[in-house]
Amino acid sequence: MASKVVDLRSDTVTKPSEAMRAAMAAADVDDDVLGADPTAHRFEAEMAAVMGKEAALFVPSGTMGNLISVLVHCDVRGSEAILGDNSHIHVYENGGISTIGGVHPRTVKNNPDGTMDIDKIVAAIRHPDLHYPTTRLICLENTHGNTGGKCLSVEYTDKVGEIAKSHGLKLHIDGARIFNASVALGVPVDRLVKAADSVSVCLSKGLGAPVGSVIVGSKAFIDKARILRKTLGGGMRQVGVLCAAAHVAVRDTMGKLADDHRKAKALAVGLKKIEQITVDPASVETNMVFFEVMDPRISPDKLCQVLEQHNVLAMPANSKSIRFVVHYQISDADVRYALACVQKAIKELLEGSTELGHSINGATKSSYGH
Amino acid sequence: MATKVVVDLRSDTVTKPSEAMRASMAAADVDDDVRGADPTARRFQEEMAALMGKEAALFVPSGTMGNLVSVLAHCDVRGSEVILGDDSHIHLYENGGISTLGGVHPKTVRNNSDGTMDIDSIVAAIRPPGGGLYYPTTRLICLENTHGNSGGKCLSAEYTEKVGEIAKSHGLKLHIDGARIFNASVALGVPVDRLVRAADSVSVCISKGLGAPVGSVIVGSKAFIDKAKILRKTLGGGMRQVGVLCAAAHVAVRDNVGKLADDHRKAKALADGLNKIEQFRVDSASVQTNMVFLDIVDSRISSNKLCQVLGTHNVLASPRSPKRLVLHYQISDDDVQYALTCFKKAAEQLLMGSTELEHLAEQLLMGTTKNSYGQ
Repeated sequence: MASKVVDLRSDTVTKPSEAMRAAMAAADVDDDVLGADPTAHRFEAEMAAVMGKEAALFVPSGTMGNLISVLVHCDVRGSEAILGDNSHIHVYENGGISTIGGVHPRTVKNNPDGTMDIDKIVAAIRHPDLHYPTTRLICLENTHGNTGGKCLSVEYTDKVGEIAKSHGLKLHIDGARIFNASVALGVPVDRLVKAADSVSVCLSKGLGAPVGSVIVGSKAFIDKARILRKTLGGGMRQVGVLCAAAHVAVRDTMGKLADDHRKAKALAVGLKKIEQITVDPASVETNMVFFEVMDPRISPDKLCQVLEQHNVLAMPANSKSIRFVVHYQISDADVRYALACVQKAIKELLEGSTELGHSINGATKSSYGH
Repeated sequence: MATKVVVDLRSDTVTKPSEAMRASMAAADVDDDVRGADPTARRFQEEMAALMGKEAALFVPSGTMGNLVSVLAHCDVRGSEVILGDDSHIHLYENGGISTLGGVHPKTVRNNSDGTMDIDSIVAAIRPPGGGLYYPTTRLICLENTHGNSGGKCLSAEYTEKVGEIAKSHGLKLHIDGARIFNASVALGVPVDRLVRAADSVSVCISKGLGAPVGSVIVGSKAFIDKAKILRKTLGGGMRQVGVLCAAAHVAVRDNVGKLADDHRKAKALADGLNKIEQFRVDSASVQTNMVFLDIVDSRISSNKLCQVLGTHNVLASPRSPKRLVLHYQISDDDVQYALTCFKKAAEQLLMGSTELEHLAEQLLMGTTKNSYGQ
């Protein structure tokens, strides 16, 4: 058994590379609240250009990226936002758009491919009425996490953008993993998000930066976002130390995402060969694999516990399935090792030959959408 | 002017990370802190809790978030009210977030020039329980130590304990905005844990005089910090491999608390030097920590113009009036002397009514003359 831990719980576990660490140590910094940090300026300008928007703003997390975006678009009291019933914003962000922002959510069913039906989105838009809040925003999530890292096509995104525009609404994309979508679809990222008024992009997931996300949008939008960021408490001082690492992440790791997708596919194909496992490799579009164990004696929790004993970390996605997330710090050898461990773990559980102790490291908590 | 060094007296937020901090960031042992797994974050939070004499601590991206999380955690029931100073940072310079985002109503009490609020005014501001039909419910009192807008004034341990007793006897919590609590502790000669003993929570800045690049720490009971952690996530302050920032913060506390007394000495030296310049006056006796408030007593000199001219000599100050000058460990004794000669020169230039300054002023307005916004 290798002493290395193969951590498939999420791509948020990526640790900063040597190049990122060196960049942080050498960063040219100043007080970003006074608007003076050159590394932050440079990185924000770079991200705006990459995403094809006017301006960008670095924030401590994807949650803040989404929260700011929703609150800026819905800054008038009595607003409503349309979003997927299985979306990260709705399920895993503490309901902050409502509890903190006073914005009402209107959910529409997410299909297994991550989309919401166009006619259902249209049906969810409020017309003016004494009883209704005012719809101001539609949110999409690309890639869509809970459906397995599924990509929303540029055609679908454009279509939703048209709906938004024709109804006077804004469109925000939770693009935590937008680069995975861009790479998998073979569509340049700026083209992919062209219809969106704003996008929130994570640097700290598959791209591997230690901290942070970026919001992109128009200059007017980002000006408002900056004030909201300060209000929420996200105004950091010499933040160039983090932006320096984020720049390296974008520069060095974007080109590795295709490999993550290949490894995820290999995992799925390998899992399919295991008798007790149900998985659809064709549904693996990016860096996530969701699989089920069909034997009732093996619950996702139990399997994850046993895997942990073999130094493979994973999390149940729900009561029936387990999610594996691949990132660039998982090698091909790690993939093979993980497959061997899954095989072993199932065998151990079926033979009743394993001690199920208390899990360490919280490996069997629900995935909480990361 | 022999050197191109800029003497930045705008705030102690401008401190840049030291070599030791940079090295520690690069070498930090990190993991996903949202899963509670970052060892450097955990270590630093334990260190700060112990230092402040509280059960637990939580690293946050800013003092604004530290205060916002604290107020919202103490006032988590709708219809809450908080008592705080009318000249406090939370009330003036945090975007009204406790209300606009948190739904908490503020009840201000006048801040005296020493940073305190009169005890009887605080008591009078507490809503009577049972007056429920018209009143929100008071749940919290906030103090600020040192108090920024009154010139970096220290609240004594005795005053703090008195307010703590009032809070306790009325079933309220006490939060201290301790952005510069270490300055207070050093100036008063009171250990910091003793100074904040009466408080249920304290927000402490690591990125100001202590010099870390980013962050603050909230300290309080374990139950409070558990709530605070969820609020921090909700506001978007849950960062991943945040140990890179905590590593620098640890170095800041280790290396720079011991330098604060020097900042206070330099502030006094600056104040004394400015008093020798006819056109300026400083109430030297009121310089308790690292801030100097400067009065311009010659009406021919405006604060804005003074700022612009100082800028041409690479001395940065905020244009607000009264002018606030803030010392930190990256301002040397030589810098203080240099700044004094520039103030003298600037006063002379302005009195001579030099019009070529108008042209230079336009160019400088870009970078150096933003408002200080309470930082």
